[in-house]
Amino acid sequence: MYEEKERPPIFKKWSGWYALVIGFLVALIIFFVYFTKYFA
Amino acid sequence: MSYFDWIVLIISLLGIILYGIYKSRSSRNLEGYFLSDREMPWWLILLSIMGTQASAITFLSAPGQAYTDGMRFVQYYFGLPLAMVVLCITFVPLFHRLRLYTAYEYLEKRFDVKTRTFTAFLFLLQRGVSTGISVYAPSIILSSLLGWNIYITNVLMGGLLIIYTVSGGAKAVAYTQQLQLIIIFVSMFIAAYMVVSLLPEGVGFFDALQVGGKMGKLNVITTGMKPNGGFDWSDQYNLLSGLIGGFFLALSYFGTDQSQVGRYLTAKSLRESRVGLLMNGLVKVPMQFLILLIGVLIFSFYQFHKAPLFFNNTLIEKVANSAYADSLKNIQSEYDRFNDQKLALMEKFPRVEAGMDFSPVFQEELKKVNRQGDSLRKSFKQMIGKSGVGGDSNDTNYIFLRFVIDFLPKGLVGLLIAVIFLASWGSIAAALNSLASASVVDFHKKFVNPSMTESQDYRIAKIYTLLWGIFCIVVAMFAYNIGNSLIEAVNKLGSLFYGVILGVFLVAFFFKKIRGSAVFWSAILGELGVITLFVLNEKKIIGLGFLWLNFIGAAAVIAIAWLMQILISKNGNSSTYIHDTTRIPQK
Repeated sequence: MYEEKERPPIFKKWSGWYALVIGFLVALIIFFVYFTKYFA
Repeated sequence: MSYFDWIVLIISLLGIILYGIYKSRSSRNLEGYFLSDREMPWWLILLSIMGTQASAITFLSAPGQAYTDGMRFVQYYFGLPLAMVVLCITFVPLFHRLRLYTAYEYLEKRFDVKTRTFTAFLFLLQRGVSTGISVYAPSIILSSLLGWNIYITNVLMGGLLIIYTVSGGAKAVAYTQQLQLIIIFVSMFIAAYMVVSLLPEGVGFFDALQVGGKMGKLNVITTGMKPNGGFDWSDQYNLLSGLIGGFFLALSYFGTDQSQVGRYLTAKSLRESRVGLLMNGLVKVPMQFLILLIGVLIFSFYQFHKAPLFFNNTLIEKVANSAYADSLKNIQSEYDRFNDQKLALMEKFPRVEAGMDFSPVFQEELKKVNRQGDSLRKSFKQMIGKSGVGGDSNDTNYIFLRFVIDFLPKGLVGLLIAVIFLASWGSIAAALNSLASASVVDFHKKFVNPSMTESQDYRIAKIYTLLWGIFCIVVAMFAYNIGNSLIEAVNKLGSLFYGVILGVFLVAFFFKKIRGSAVFWSAILGELGVITLFVLNEKKIIGLGFLWLNFIGAAAVIAIAWLMQILISKNGNSSTYIHDTTRIPQK
């Protein structure tokens, strides 16, 4: 696999982006569950 | 439409065409025409990616889908954010480093000409047909609701954008998409505001959400579990299919579909491409959620107003002129009674803003009335089928525009019809540009005339853009009765090919020992397998949601290629040398 040496945007490592995106998705899903239940 | 609406519509469309031509200046070579001289900033990449993915179908079907099926469609996008990160680490740096025009060029470097050609062919087939549907889908809706001639509408929908797409290439596409998206988002926000403002006195936004929620339309998260236990594999949209199937679909769409690859290859640096894609991952789900929410608001609006039996008037008229005219009258009068009952019930609506509770008794009564309405709508849809008048018995795509035409003030109707055109143009222009780039780079320059000058390249690129534009309009002219939601039709078509194309790229990236012949035949076998599963599902022999085809296609290619490579190696037909051009030294 080709390895790119350039740093990812904002974070030092790509693990930072993984954490941000997974955290964002989890937060959205929790919000959506709450949203569904609140109005149901 | 009023004269004022026509003026707003014509000014909006003309403005975009002139702006596109104004922004057309780029170098007169392939890099200028297909890749905007590789000088775009990240925010333009973001808007271009979004404008390419969000077609008119997105803005027509999504609110209608929320109206009929609730908001669970948003789960379809759950795999997208993670896919953006994976792409930024794997596909994007490699494409940039190799300074490719199309994603498929890489496959020749890694495998051989036949694998590159086959994959590029699958792309042209899939993207060409789905772009034709993207022209037809909004055209049939506008022609039905406004009485426009379908052929002329197809030509306007798919033809006017050709003016700036042919003259300006990728640069004109990106700059017009930026302006188009601004107009679209502002107009959709105004439409949402208008829905709420048209609710009865004292009924507000949260009341509308409560009505939608109590009627099961705010079902954003669904597990896909059957009531008696076990996972329902035929369920189209749920958390698992969205996360896994959606991840593979997004990986394939953004990583291997030239209509998207061509957008982020226009970036001035690798970093700009990455930021554009990562931002897309963060904004896509909330954006889709808000578009679907408009559909729920419209559903709530129709709880306080008389809803049409069927949102496509043209089909009602056709049935009224058929042998089923009397049956239609009976259903219509029953539906009128349903509307009266519903409105009488909603007189007692407990307003949230007045601190009143939505009691279980009231909720059950409203559900009961709505079930009655749904049953009558279902009967009418069956009647359409029996009457033989033709047309789509699903009116999901007509709901949003029917509301716009019936209830929004003059001027706004024209603006929202302009939105449909602009959204359509944004995605079609990018598709034409990518179809032309794959045709020129992967076929014409490869097999017809490899030694063209820059000016010949430039001219032939324009000719291919024009030819693909004409092809898509011709497909639109023949597209008819696609059935169900048009957004699903396009997504289903994509899922037939995306998994296999993704499988080829994943083998290229992660399985160094697998070579051209193994991956080529595995792609053909994988494609046949996916088409077989799709046909079996359509014939109800198996139950499989279409999103799973992306995962199955990719997995099948990897597994078959791996097995074939072992067999080829054992038979001694393969040397141990792996032609690996992906390990390119740093500059």
